[in-house]
Amino acid sequence: MSATTAAPAPIDITGTAPVPMSRLASVELRKALDTRAGRWFTFSILALCLVVLTIYALAAPDTDKDFGDFLGIAGAVLGYFLPILIIMLVTSEQSQRNGLVTFTLEPRRSRVVVAKFIAGIALAAGVMVLAAVIAVLGTVLGTATGGTPDWGLEWNLLFNGFVLANVIGVFIGFAIAMLLMNTPGAIVGYFAYSLILPIAVGILSSLSEGFEKVAPWIEFNTAQTPLFTGDYQPTGEEWAQILVSGIIWLVVPLALGIGRLLRTEFK
Amino acid sequence: MITVESVTKTYGGFKAVDDVSFVAQPGRVTGFLGPNGAGKTTTMRIMVGLTVPTHGQVRIGGHLYRDIPNPGRHVGVLLDASAQHAGRTGREILTIAAKTMGLPLSRVDEMLDLVALSDAEAKRRLRNYSLGMKQRLGIAQALLGDPSVLILDEPANGLDPAGIRWMRTLLKGYADRGGTVLLSSHLLNEVELIADEMILIGHGRIVAQGDKKSLLAMDTNVSTLVMSLDNQRLAEALQQKGYTVAPEGEGLRVSCTTEEVGRVALEAQVVLTDLRSGAAGLEDLFLELTSDTQRDVIPQGAPA
Repeated sequence: MSATTAAPAPIDITGTAPVPMSRLASVELRKALDTRAGRWFTFSILALCLVVLTIYALAAPDTDKDFGDFLGIAGAVLGYFLPILIIMLVTSEQSQRNGLVTFTLEPRRSRVVVAKFIAGIALAAGVMVLAAVIAVLGTVLGTATGGTPDWGLEWNLLFNGFVLANVIGVFIGFAIAMLLMNTPGAIVGYFAYSLILPIAVGILSSLSEGFEKVAPWIEFNTAQTPLFTGDYQPTGEEWAQILVSGIIWLVVPLALGIGRLLRTEFK
Repeated sequence: MITVESVTKTYGGFKAVDDVSFVAQPGRVTGFLGPNGAGKTTTMRIMVGLTVPTHGQVRIGGHLYRDIPNPGRHVGVLLDASAQHAGRTGREILTIAAKTMGLPLSRVDEMLDLVALSDAEAKRRLRNYSLGMKQRLGIAQALLGDPSVLILDEPANGLDPAGIRWMRTLLKGYADRGGTVLLSSHLLNEVELIADEMILIGHGRIVAQGDKKSLLAMDTNVSTLVMSLDNQRLAEALQQKGYTVAPEGEGLRVSCTTEEVGRVALEAQVVLTDLRSGAAGLEDLFLELTSDTQRDVIPQGAPA
């Protein structure tokens, strides 16, 4: 045995400030964009927006070339792909195993979760602004091909159809990513949720009138439809449906996902 | 200082770590030795809060790891050099860590210099790194925040002989400046040369600990290996004194100290050509102590 020495003084930690949230969030934002996958995926979403809006500007009837139409389509493109960007940001901690480092540099995991939320929302906001700029370009192109666009923008379209719908998508991405903690699995899970589930519900609804009435209460995609169609203004009952189905498909998975991330052993 | 206080971790019915307690002192390099799957990594993961122990706790410099603010500035950790996003460059990996810790980016260049990763290598993505390069990068990351405690899991893994020597010098100097170094290995000779103190673990339990001398003292069978110009006469002289003598190789194995063999040879006027302790080395001790946890049994009488 070694000679017993006097217990050394403890490490003095009083002079060390904890890692501020702003720094954690900016690091997470950097991590979303510093890999080829992250950078090119972000770039591809915007490129896809540009392509879709260009085609729309050339092909759509001249009466449907308002700024609102372009913005709505850009929002729909984002709606499909923004959640995947978030999924990659969260699941790489486990799939690429860099969580080992992330959570040793900040062992208070809940702070990393919050930082990822902030980074995810900031990234989504950035992409949304760029998509809105592309929508402006699309509208100008629409003018060149014979449209006489209405540049006016309804608040409901902007907030409900574009911002809220996409923010919900981002949170869905978070929930699925934290629950599955595996990049391919979470992407497949997300498409099952966003593409297959609504089709299945649609088929069931067409077969059963009772189910058609229940569907918007239990299926989040169906419930969200009023956000980005019609006058972009859900009725009171439709808001209630968004709330109820949102608890089932967003709040509960998000809570379970956060619980899993806080407890899981990063190996 | 790292204080491990009766840490136990069970997975289902399997005890990965079983009531482990030890102290790694500042100013010393502590080697954490054991065969594959002995519980070294799990113990180290518990130290930094990645795994929650079933019982017990680990204090680093008197604190629980999760209570240390900006822990990268106090504790340097390398658990798995491959556990990084394969698509990031070496430089980017260090940059992320430096930004998290709030360090100037000049620190990244300093560390790349220290671990001898060239500018071109630092620009390569991790998936194109050899294991040795990953280890160097991992050591750079652990040292980035200028910590006073280092926890390194198998840091010599994949390093070439020159790299292993480089790492020995680096860690020795680090401990000499008052730092606490804990490094694990399954290779005894890797640790033997550098560790002031060794903790031997097998099957999740500590089987021995101490410095090299006190570990060797655990081997109670005194024996000496001797060669002389007249082995026959020496053997007879030794047997007359009541020692057991057995031929071994070109010489003899005798059941007494080297000093005693020397005296007998002097009296019998036999010229010795080789005289050394025949005690089991650390490696034999290590294998013996952890034998019930070894996966491979060395067959007896197998050709060398």
